[in-house]
Amino acid sequence: MKQAKKIFQSYGTLLALAVIILVFSLLRPSAFFTVKNFLNISRQISLMVIISIGATLVMSINEFDLSVGSMASLGGVMAALMAVAGLPLPLCFLLPVLISLVVGWINGWIVAKFRVLSFITTLGMSTVLSGVIYRLTGGATVFQNIPKGFSWLGTFKIGEIPLLSVIMVVFVVLFTFIMRHTVLGRRLYAIGGNEETSKIAGINVPLYKNIAFALCAVLSCVTGMLIASRVGSANTTAGDGYFLSSYAAVFIGCTVSRKGIPNVPGTLVGCAILGILTNGLTMLQMPTYMQDIITGAIIVLAVILQKVGRGDAK
Amino acid sequence: MLLETRHLSKQFNGIYALKDIHFSLEAGEVHGLVGENGAGKSTLIKILTGVYALDTGEIYWNGEPLTVRNPSEARKAGISVIHQDRTLVPTFTGVENAYLGMPYPTRGGRVDWKAMEARVAKTGKAIGIELDWQRTAAEMSPPQRTCLEIVRAMMNDCRLLILDEPTASLTDKESEWLFSIIDGLRARGTAILYVTHRMEEIFRLTDRITVFKNGEMVGTVLTREISREALIGMMSDNWVAETLHGGSGGGEVLLRAEHLRSRDGIVRDASLEVRAGEILGLFGLGGSGRTELLECLYGYRPVAGGTITIHGQPQTRLTPEKAIRLGVALISEDRRGKAMIGNLSVRENVALSCLKDFARHGVVDSGAERPAVREMTDRLRVRMAGPEQRAIELSGGNQQKVVFAKALMTHPQVFLCDEPTQAVDVMTRGEIHRLLREEADQGRGVLFVSSDLKEVLEVADRVQIIVAGETRETLENRNLNTQQVLACCYREE
Repeated sequence: MKQAKKIFQSYGTLLALAVIILVFSLLRPSAFFTVKNFLNISRQISLMVIISIGATLVMSINEFDLSVGSMASLGGVMAALMAVAGLPLPLCFLLPVLISLVVGWINGWIVAKFRVLSFITTLGMSTVLSGVIYRLTGGATVFQNIPKGFSWLGTFKIGEIPLLSVIMVVFVVLFTFIMRHTVLGRRLYAIGGNEETSKIAGINVPLYKNIAFALCAVLSCVTGMLIASRVGSANTTAGDGYFLSSYAAVFIGCTVSRKGIPNVPGTLVGCAILGILTNGLTMLQMPTYMQDIITGAIIVLAVILQKVGRGDAK
Repeated sequence: MLLETRHLSKQFNGIYALKDIHFSLEAGEVHGLVGENGAGKSTLIKILTGVYALDTGEIYWNGEPLTVRNPSEARKAGISVIHQDRTLVPTFTGVENAYLGMPYPTRGGRVDWKAMEARVAKTGKAIGIELDWQRTAAEMSPPQRTCLEIVRAMMNDCRLLILDEPTASLTDKESEWLFSIIDGLRARGTAILYVTHRMEEIFRLTDRITVFKNGEMVGTVLTREISREALIGMMSDNWVAETLHGGSGGGEVLLRAEHLRSRDGIVRDASLEVRAGEILGLFGLGGSGRTELLECLYGYRPVAGGTITIHGQPQTRLTPEKAIRLGVALISEDRRGKAMIGNLSVRENVALSCLKDFARHGVVDSGAERPAVREMTDRLRVRMAGPEQRAIELSGGNQQKVVFAKALMTHPQVFLCDEPTQAVDVMTRGEIHRLLREEADQGRGVLFVSSDLKEVLEVADRVQIIVAGETRETLENRNLNTQQVLACCYREE
């Protein structure tokens, strides 16, 4: 029994993922459980995975970044506008990254230097970025005169495999490695575990906070650019919908780790659960409101189960 | 007799914090309570105010048996305490703070603010305290806040007011104001139990003094019949450590501080020298700034003035990172808050300060890290399920060993140890003492802080005294007894 509990504690969320897949496979065997559909799902979740990795980094130091959504929107808008303006395509995807790096660095600097709650700082930043987007676009979607090559990243397929899915895998592998095996990752977790202890251990806490926020902004920007590339236009609020689901994915991901801390593979699992639910429920022709109810309930349930499993519950 | 305790005892983990206390207090007296760190003063206060339950014994209040199960019951009975760390709500006004925990008077369903202020002002006036009651606690000065707390205590018919180091954050002039209020309270028949390390205040204010030592009550004396020396004699027991020290006499100076001041004003003028091959004990009473001094020496707490010299090099803008590089390690007193990351594994904790040593181009080589961590945990005999176990799951003693392992990984030349044996078992305590002595014998320097004076005398070669943020003399620990050390701490300057 104790053994069972332990297994449930470590693999409960993975088990839930398996059960979800099993149920959909039984209900819609011909449409759901196919290579084609799984490739489809991987493409559908790829954008959310990248932005959620950013949220994972900031959560690993016990902070929040509420500006991921608007940063993504801005990233898409900037890339599209630069493309329209006739800049070489590589530059269209590189310059926004540099700008987002600065934005994220400012977030981290305000949080670390002035000890402003990251909640407030990034809420303000989010509003500022929305304002900038409006200044740039006048509120209209950027879609006219976008060169054809702009859509390549978001639509290209290697055989049957979408390039977006490959990009996602690259990011997951890269950041899993960074968080587990580099000085940077280990120090981010140390800061998230105990900031004072980290300071005494000689870690430059403000610097690492800056880095975490900067990376988060860059990943948000990349996500936004890929969204724009995928649909061939830049909606001024394209990234907004990703904000809540990315944090939901990180929270589900925490339950995958025994320590209950944010981690990249867990975040991937979180995104997969959310993505597969959407995919399967749509196939079952479940109305959208039911999808929302089921998805929301599962997020909370996952965290409750983990708390119960670890004996944290009262 | 207002208050009397009979056979009062309290144990924690099988160790007596208070043993068979027969303590009594008259109405209208100011009664001093003195004793070394850990003598049992706080425990007595906490029992009287219902924070702790007593194990055995009785409390009599006006001749009637009294049971207090929580602080609000104590307050209802007429016993209030004012701690050094105040318990006011900063954003509340004086009136609101005075009414904390009491029902607000209402008129026609609305809070009757006028009646409240009138009652607070009247209570204040009766004991000679006049304040702007509409100000928030945050806007008040430290002595005003103390007065506000006194008024709050007097809102209910307070018969016994306990003051725990009330002047710790006050200037001399502010203290005088407090003393005149205390005189007023005494005249009105309120009993005051006055707890402090400051001898001058004890002799200035009190009628009688009770002395605690090691959880036992040594006795109660009339203030006018005892001298300062005799009182200090009662508090200590002429205890001399039996252990022999390294006695190599100390080599070159590894770390030197001169006239160090911290920015927050807690360390005011500290000078000391830690030499190679020795354990320097740093002893001071509660609130003397021991911990803060160590944090300054490590570059963790901002310094406002003075110099720190490490290996002969004067240090400006010292940071923990730099301190580690220069071979200084800090074992912080606050294990869970500052020394350890509970949710991370033993391995991650041990490697925390020296991660870069195992990394190439920012990538940690776990092939180098794991054996190095293993070697250190084996050396310190950390008992754990494995290096991947979360640190918080270990026992107190083993957690402390993890903290030491982390420090040793950076090959320090100077150890700054703040209460390193706090909340560890007897075995580990001995191991830590031996470890520090070994390191000293190999030419390292150790600065050892403990609030347990006997422990300091057990391990230290020399003892540096610190009082109220200022260092005083350094005593050679040869037949040094506790009384001599305490006399230095209590001497007026």
